[in-house]
Amino acid sequence: MKAKVLIVDDEAPARERLRSLLAEIDGAQVVGEAATGEEALRQTEDLGPDVVLLDVRMPGMDGLEAARHLNLLEHPPAVIFTTAYDEYALNAFDAQAVGYLLKPIRKEKLAAAILSAGRLTRPQLQKISGDTRRRSHIAVKHREGLRLIPVEDVQYFLAEQKYTTVRHLKGEDLIEDSLRALEDEFGSDLVRIHRNALVSVRYLERIERGAEGQYFVCLRGCEAPLAVSRRMASELRERFRI
Amino acid sequence: MSAAAGHGGNDSLYLPDFCTSRAALGIVLIVELTAVLLTLARENPLIGFWADLWRTSLFLLWIGLTGAALLCWVGRHLRRLRVARGSAVVLALIAAVVAAISGCAWLLGRSNLVEDAGASVLFPPGLATFLLRNVSIGLVVTALALRYFYVTHQWRLNIEMQAAARVHALQARIRPHFLFNSMNTIASLTRSNPVLAEQAVQDLADLFRANLSEKRNVITLEQECEVARIYQRIEALRLGTRLHIEWKIDPLPRDALVPGLLLQPLLENAIYHGIEPQPQGGTVTVTGEMASDLITIVVRNPVTDREAERDGNRLALANIRERLALMYGERGLVKAGRFGTEYIVTLRFPYIDSAQKLSA
Repeated sequence: MKAKVLIVDDEAPARERLRSLLAEIDGAQVVGEAATGEEALRQTEDLGPDVVLLDVRMPGMDGLEAARHLNLLEHPPAVIFTTAYDEYALNAFDAQAVGYLLKPIRKEKLAAAILSAGRLTRPQLQKISGDTRRRSHIAVKHREGLRLIPVEDVQYFLAEQKYTTVRHLKGEDLIEDSLRALEDEFGSDLVRIHRNALVSVRYLERIERGAEGQYFVCLRGCEAPLAVSRRMASELRERFRI
Repeated sequence: MSAAAGHGGNDSLYLPDFCTSRAALGIVLIVELTAVLLTLARENPLIGFWADLWRTSLFLLWIGLTGAALLCWVGRHLRRLRVARGSAVVLALIAAVVAAISGCAWLLGRSNLVEDAGASVLFPPGLATFLLRNVSIGLVVTALALRYFYVTHQWRLNIEMQAAARVHALQARIRPHFLFNSMNTIASLTRSNPVLAEQAVQDLADLFRANLSEKRNVITLEQECEVARIYQRIEALRLGTRLHIEWKIDPLPRDALVPGLLLQPLLENAIYHGIEPQPQGGTVTVTGEMASDLITIVVRNPVTDREAERDGNRLALANIRERLALMYGERGLVKAGRFGTEYIVTLRFPYIDSAQKLSA
């Protein structure tokens, strides 16, 4: 059986080259092409490829982030990264034994990589995406598949017992990331207003005081105010003049 | 380091550290030379050359070393001042030291101790003329020394700048990212469109020839624009419709002399940071203007929020800044910064054409 391959690269000539190389490789069959990370996720869900050839540097959602989201799928595909030159990524790939190919890609190497391609493990993904790299989207698992929420659309994260609720412009969803991890990843874009709540700085509107002296923060586009701890209330006022 | 090189003309860093023994030795040397000069010029019949030199040296050493100690003490604050003010403060301090020590010497000459020893001939008679003359001589000698320090410092800065420019030129050469991506494009075109592949190889060769050439330090604007266009052609193959470059440089004199690789690295930065990160691509605008013999070139590209956090294009800018400074001195200017959703680099330098260059 031939391996179904999805080609992901923002540059048309690069996609074209991979397609013509793969046509000459017996054990591979191209099922689709994508030019962005978002498109790659959609195509993966629709076409169910066995292997995704993923360019590292792409506009918007890059290859490393797309790989992270791909791994949330029910049946994640194997991933092979492709890159022309990216010292930092290559060091991480080598350290984590993650498969990658250097452009211009040689046919023999491509064939060998497709034969031996494996799924990425969660620790591998964490290591290669680095500590400072922030995602452009939050991926949410649904029955129908993945839904992507642009980080700019997120209003707040609320920690519940086991999950985290993410409230965004189009509704609410449950994700598995901890508040702690989200705070580390998005740093200055978010502010912790309470033990269980992280809000997006760009949606902060004003602070109100309830009848019993407790504080609430109102976010743009949210009807229900969120409780603010006493200590954070004064800090918010000073930092954001609200 | 770069701050020192960038603003070398603006602060008093040119003053040496007077706390070092090297500086003290230098001051002793200056003092002794001045003493010899004064003694030779005066030809005092009463006490003879050697005695005169001896007492002048003793007097001047007091002034020199007290002055050095004082400058050592206030040196840290002095260095923060601008050149003109720093120099004025040094002159004032030295004048004060000269006046104070001259005053002491004159008082010593009046004292009983000296009169009893019959040595009053060694000391000056009138206070006012003595003070006035000494302070004037002190100011002239100090001014000469300051000038010497300043020139030495400028010379050293220039050497450092040239060395830095050479190092940065090596580092700022075309990004490997660009080379390997272009190779990949060519590999792809070789199969699908051999004619275009051939042109791309020729373009790449021309670009690298311009990049590797040591001789073409100074080229005409025409030549530089040609290199930039070749670069644009290669990137267009790869980025397709995502890349737009608007050239509005008609007012520029094409025979103007510029340092090589002035525009191409700016375009490279604009594409790498401004166009590649945008899924729909964008437009880089290159505008050129000329007013009263000053050429202004502005390169603008869109920036995304995410890309703005990255900090990779300093090297190319630093290199262009240094090379403009080397070629045009203070008349060359590079400004760069983010304005809203755009990143704008402005170059300004005087128009020098080949005819002028030959006569110079």
